[in-house]
Amino acid sequence: MAAVQDGPMELDAEKETKPEILSDGTSNLSGNTASGTLSSSPLTAAPAGGAPKMEDQQTLIAVLQFLKRNKLTDSVEILRREAGLGEDQEDSLATDGSGGGKGDGDGGDAHSLLSRVSITSAVAPQNMPVKRADDQPDVSVVLSAYSQQGDPSLYQVYYSGLKNFIESVLDCHRAELSQLFYPLFVHMYLELVYNNHENEAKAFFEKFSGDQECYYQDDLRVLCGLTKKEHLKGNEALLDFRTSRFVLRISRDSYQLLKRHLQERHNNQIWNIIQEHLYIDIFDGMPRSKSQIDSMSGSLAGEARREVNKAKVFYGLLKEPEIEVPLDDEDEEAENEEGKPKKKKTKKDSLGSKSKKQDPNAPQQNRIPLPELKDSDKLDKIMYMKESTKRIRLGPENLPSICFYTFLNAYQGLTAVDFTDDSSLLAGGFADSTVRVWSVTPKKLRKVKSAADLNMIDKESDDVLERIMDEKTASESKILYGHSGPVYGVSFSPDRNYLLSSSEDGTVRLWSLLTFTCLVGYKGHNYPVWDTQFSPFGYYFVSGGHDRVARLWATDHYQPLRIFAGHLADVTCTRFHPNSNYVATGSTDRTVRLWDVLNGNCVRIFTGHKGPVHSLAFSPNGKFLASGSTDGRVLLWDIGHGLMIGELKGHTDTIYALKFSRDGEILASGSMDNTVRLWDSMKAFDEVETDDFTATTGHIHLPDNSQELLLGTYHSKSTPVTHLHFTRRNLLLAAGGYNSQ
Amino acid sequence: MASPKTVPKDAQVMMQILKDMGITEYEPRVINQMLEFTYRYVTTIIEDAKIYSTHAKKSNVDADDIKLAIQCRVDQSFISPPPRDFLLDIARQKNQTPLPLIKPYTGPRLPPDRYCLTAPNYRLKSLQKKVSSSAGRITVPRLSVGAVSSRPSTPTLGTPSVQTVGTKVGTPVSLTGQRFTVQIPSSQAASVKSATPTTPTVQNVLINPSLIGSKNILITTNMVSQNSSGDSTSLKRKHEDEDDYDAL
Repeated sequence: MAAVQDGPMELDAEKETKPEILSDGTSNLSGNTASGTLSSSPLTAAPAGGAPKMEDQQTLIAVLQFLKRNKLTDSVEILRREAGLGEDQEDSLATDGSGGGKGDGDGGDAHSLLSRVSITSAVAPQNMPVKRADDQPDVSVVLSAYSQQGDPSLYQVYYSGLKNFIESVLDCHRAELSQLFYPLFVHMYLELVYNNHENEAKAFFEKFSGDQECYYQDDLRVLCGLTKKEHLKGNEALLDFRTSRFVLRISRDSYQLLKRHLQERHNNQIWNIIQEHLYIDIFDGMPRSKSQIDSMSGSLAGEARREVNKAKVFYGLLKEPEIEVPLDDEDEEAENEEGKPKKKKTKKDSLGSKSKKQDPNAPQQNRIPLPELKDSDKLDKIMYMKESTKRIRLGPENLPSICFYTFLNAYQGLTAVDFTDDSSLLAGGFADSTVRVWSVTPKKLRKVKSAADLNMIDKESDDVLERIMDEKTASESKILYGHSGPVYGVSFSPDRNYLLSSSEDGTVRLWSLLTFTCLVGYKGHNYPVWDTQFSPFGYYFVSGGHDRVARLWATDHYQPLRIFAGHLADVTCTRFHPNSNYVATGSTDRTVRLWDVLNGNCVRIFTGHKGPVHSLAFSPNGKFLASGSTDGRVLLWDIGHGLMIGELKGHTDTIYALKFSRDGEILASGSMDNTVRLWDSMKAFDEVETDDFTATTGHIHLPDNSQELLLGTYHSKSTPVTHLHFTRRNLLLAAGGYNSQ
Repeated sequence: MASPKTVPKDAQVMMQILKDMGITEYEPRVINQMLEFTYRYVTTIIEDAKIYSTHAKKSNVDADDIKLAIQCRVDQSFISPPPRDFLLDIARQKNQTPLPLIKPYTGPRLPPDRYCLTAPNYRLKSLQKKVSSSAGRITVPRLSVGAVSSRPSTPTLGTPSVQTVGTKVGTPVSLTGQRFTVQIPSSQAASVKSATPTTPTVQNVLINPSLIGSKNILITTNMVSQNSSGDSTSLKRKHEDEDDYDAL
């Protein structure tokens, strides 16, 4: 970064480091960080004239000019005395200097000085016009030369040199070292652009961009358009890329090879970039193969460091509060005193675990505060249990039926869909900023009566909940107005009283489904909010948007409770874990992160997608996560170990919908290619459980068994699938907007 | 798509740019939108640069003025999300406070009333009635387009529709909002343009829905005077364009 920007600070820095300016050797120059302060190398005694190298001369002169410009005459004297510079030498460089009143510097001297500079330090002629042309930032040019570490035209030489080296190593190391190409390429290119060497940057790009991996093509296209420093300023993602460190995982042997090669060639250019911008996570063991590396790479920041994925995650489910719920299947306790008809359930699938032992992988009940169960919630739970007894067990032999809800006349404006858990209501968010709610069952939607009418009803009657509804307002669907931008996410609350919608206008709105009016607008993201979801227990909800963070809110706080920051690009998809203690976010930076609600930490980073991640689904047992992206692949992750355990290939377009069946045996995926595919998740997860080796090293050997796991492909005529939902009885509902093209 | 011979040069350039950026499938109207944006942006920058150069008492506009104009506009119109370290910082602060305990038995859990929208002071009327009555009203501005006498007619256009202001505030149209005031005068036909400078008061202009056919989108623009002067809205302008073209 140019020193000119932090002018006043630089004065002090300059004064202190002035005696240390005379650095020797290029390797020390490389220690300069982006802040542009001069490296504090030991002072080499500088007798008049000969000893200091030409680059140091340049620096000295530039610094002198800077000091002069800021009228620090004493410092100028001292420096000049110590460095042994003559008056004319420094003035000769101030060709069109602002303060260069002593313009009697001989052109001859300047020329000779400059020519000496050009020969000895091998600074290419291109540098000269840059320096002479703009005197105003001449200090910064010289200083930034440090951050660019030498000559722009040599970058190509360095890169080809590295390329040749890597091509000559043993096969087993080649794949690993090839990971270096992309980050080095981008960083070198960005350095050239940053230091205003536009032509060299373009030439560099043209020569080497074709060598990069195919999955980086989109990024390269963006880079291709960035040729000036000003272009960099607005591009947050690239600035983040420049400051954050790209992570590479290389085995120790390969790393030693690389280190030896770079250091013996005195070619510290690349070494410096590696040290500054890359983080090499070394592991002991066999070098990884190309396919292994390919499966994990693709994200904007490289892979995840191993220790990032080592935090303990409580992926177990919370215990169902069956003890407090009366009239349940606690048949040894006589708690059926509520007067409701007794139904002794012997089926105990999800609710039934009688063991009072805490699952070691499950969080404590009070780890995060959760709302208590109201009576209506308890009734819901009873209904849920009744339904679950009638649930169809799915499997490879027993595929679900799929019912597709097609939105007609949406003119490609359908942007979000959600079903309630009991599949009684359907909500659609549209690009015209409306949210529409439909009743899927024959029962119509009704609004609550007005306050005056409510006064007159009999509050003690049994069917008071029906009486509060106003029959005159019964209709099949209701339209909710309020947003001022397309609605990109909708989510029903588990108790069916509220609906959330998130929109491009930066707000998340809470709507009441009793009055069908808007209750609250949560403002926090000031940028489009791409997704929102209620927690499985209600009360909390999470939203993620263009500002690269996901926020956790509670319905009764107007500000977010937690901010999950860390992604390098927009957060496109946010999902709660079934135990509501963790939030998974998928992002345009092609990673999936898992965050802890309690303290906002990122506990898992999953890389491997080659395109923005648009859909996420947790398995019902909480152990696994599935993610789908624009590259048409569904990746399966083991949350506990932090590993990728499966890859499902088959879709040809972005996957926007992912859902596990109620018992987790089938994974359904819906995509823009107008198909719904069913995958055998039970089989995919079984195959992995046994492997301990992968857990320790983090290496994965993914079997290419997508074909075996695919249970069925179901095409719609021309309707992309926006949402999938398994009813409580394991019927699959799909929703999408008819696309006539 | 029109044959290359009949396509104007800057449209060809725009098609090439889209191709270079990897965008291969797009509706033909996208080119118009992009060109509109380009014209508007470049015009604004050059006008700003002219102001800066006259302020610096230069005879010509040079590169520095343009650079300054771009820089100032970037901060105003194209706001980008906060930088990562800032986000990490505020996240750290926010995440330190423990999660608040949930009070039991409180009924609907909502923020304090002043943060809620539970007390609106308006009511939406149904859409059907408005369409029929506005269809009759629409012909008024079109008749007065050519005539200089557009002035006396505009107040009459204004008054009958004033009552819709109250009800239309929360209307179904995503396209309303202050941003529209900037768009309509410049890009629409002269009919509306003549109206703008003359009316300092609030005025609703209903664009003929019959042009849109059965879609029945009513686009209302609140031409409050401070907004018509232009780009002072804090909303991102780059999103304004897409709304225009549904009316064409």
